Amino acid sequence: SPTGDSWGIFTFLCAALCNLPALPALNCSEELGAGQSIQQTYDLTRYLEHQLRTLAGTYLNYLGPPFNEPDFNPPRLARAERVPSATVDLDLWRGLTDNARLAANYRAYSRLLCYLRVLDGQVGTAELRHRLAHFCASLQGLVLSIGGVMSSLGYPLPAGPAGPPAPPGMHAAPNDFLKKMDDFWLLKELQTWLWRSAKDFNRLKKKVPPAVVTLRLEARGF
Amino acid sequence: DSHTQYERVGADVTMKCGSMEWDAAVTWTANGTDIDESHLNGSYLILKNVDLSQSGQYSCYEGSSWHLKYQTYLKVGMPPKEPVLTCRSNNYPKGFYCSWHLPTPTYIPNTFNISVIHGTKDMVCEKDAVPKNRCHIRYLQLFSTVKYKVTLTVTNALGKNYTAVTFDEFAIVKPDPPESVVAKPVPNNPRRLEVSWQNPSSWPDPESFPLKFFLRYRPLILDQWQHVELSDGTSHTITDAYAGKEYIIQVAAKDNDIGTWSDWSVAVHATPWTEEPKHLTTEAQITETTSASTSSFMAPPTTKICDKGAVVGSGAVAVCWTAGLVVAAYSVLFI
Repeated sequence: SPTGDSWGIFTFLCAALCNLPALPALNCSEELGAGQSIQQTYDLTRYLEHQLRTLAGTYLNYLGPPFNEPDFNPPRLARAERVPSATVDLDLWRGLTDNARLAANYRAYSRLLCYLRVLDGQVGTAELRHRLAHFCASLQGLVLSIGGVMSSLGYPLPAGPAGPPAPPGMHAAPNDFLKKMDDFWLLKELQTWLWRSAKDFNRLKKKVPPAVVTLRLEARGF
Repeated sequence: DSHTQYERVGADVTMKCGSMEWDAAVTWTANGTDIDESHLNGSYLILKNVDLSQSGQYSCYEGSSWHLKYQTYLKVGMPPKEPVLTCRSNNYPKGFYCSWHLPTPTYIPNTFNISVIHGTKDMVCEKDAVPKNRCHIRYLQLFSTVKYKVTLTVTNALGKNYTAVTFDEFAIVKPDPPESVVAKPVPNNPRRLEVSWQNPSSWPDPESFPLKFFLRYRPLILDQWQHVELSDGTSHTITDAYAGKEYIIQVAAKDNDIGTWSDWSVAVHATPWTEEPKHLTTEAQITETTSASTSSFMAPPTTKICDKGAVVGSGAVAVCWTAGLVVAAYSVLFI
């Protein structure tokens, strides 16, 4: 019957795909899962980067000068080191294993999300609260997406940040200006991480080729 | 002994004849030509409101003995205006280069000094032999949140000036244009042109830092360009060319995620394939060719979505899947 033949072709394509020498030895559904998830995660980082531009603009204006000045280029204070940095030595970055690469992204966004949520509880205007809430939801989606990729590739998820973030009193900035500096650096690190992730996921895309490329070849050759 | 002196355009210059007394009898020459006494104040030579043409060698001779008492080379010029500095990364992630020039000439020699600061660290910008007025820096770290500040100071004998630029690592990324752009007609296809190109050779790592491309084309006879953005691949087939018209085609490149578009590539010209006038087909042959192409299997229109350059994002995966299955299913039924 036509339906039976179609299914036969489908399984044939799937088997042919999984036996192509270029692919690592993973079973068919996992291969499709990882390839698609990486592409989705990549797309999500681009979407978030775009969202962040608007959010950061609004937030920096809320902080007021000098934070909203384009030339503002403050020195990095020691206290700002709590926020995970995307900065990395070039050769080190190149040599990261897929697991390490994904884990770095997962850890970074999990912590950034925590800090953003703290911020969310403190901002003044309703518009900002709304934007921040929306962004946090998207960022949560990114963390889950990265987790999904790691699982589909068989990597363990990194342990969450040690306990909940310290209560607001602990590492709170001693004055209003330093608090604003903390916020400034948080947004800057977030922006840089999103740029970096696009590159991280590009590299991962090459390592785990998306199923669509090989499937197209099969369909045309048929 | 010989001297050199630099003076500003429009300045008043007084030249003394070495150690000679003010009231000594002397003759001054400019580039070997005697200077009229009206320009002298005693033994001093007075040049008012000097201009560029007055640059040259000035010599002072004792009146009677014609001994050379003093010689100087006068160079008329200007202090430097604020220089123009541009920094760009065409080889991301290797590093970036900065190049500079003066908006107006000074007519005298200038020295350029460039300094690069990254946060608290001083970096060395290595000067290039060619072209001059350019230096390059290698990135030590990638994905930096701290801006780079580049300061250029220009100094000459008449003054100094400077300019500075501050930028993020990502903001200055701009690849060179694509290379080896080739456009060819497609045999038996009067509306197609096949365009191919290569990544710019200065882009060191297209695997990890893929480029996307922008193609523009128009027939020479029209002013309006058509544009196609391509997220991967280094070739594209134009399928809506006007038959028989010569086209001009250019390509630009950009890092997939950061920075700005390159300049347009060198333009290439191509004309789509046209049927040879002397091989006119008869009516019978025309109908034969038409019916032959409709009876052979034609891919349903949806597979066009799977063409290179149109597929972006996972939504397209599902479409390709479906199209692939449809093709597979139909071909089995038709065997």
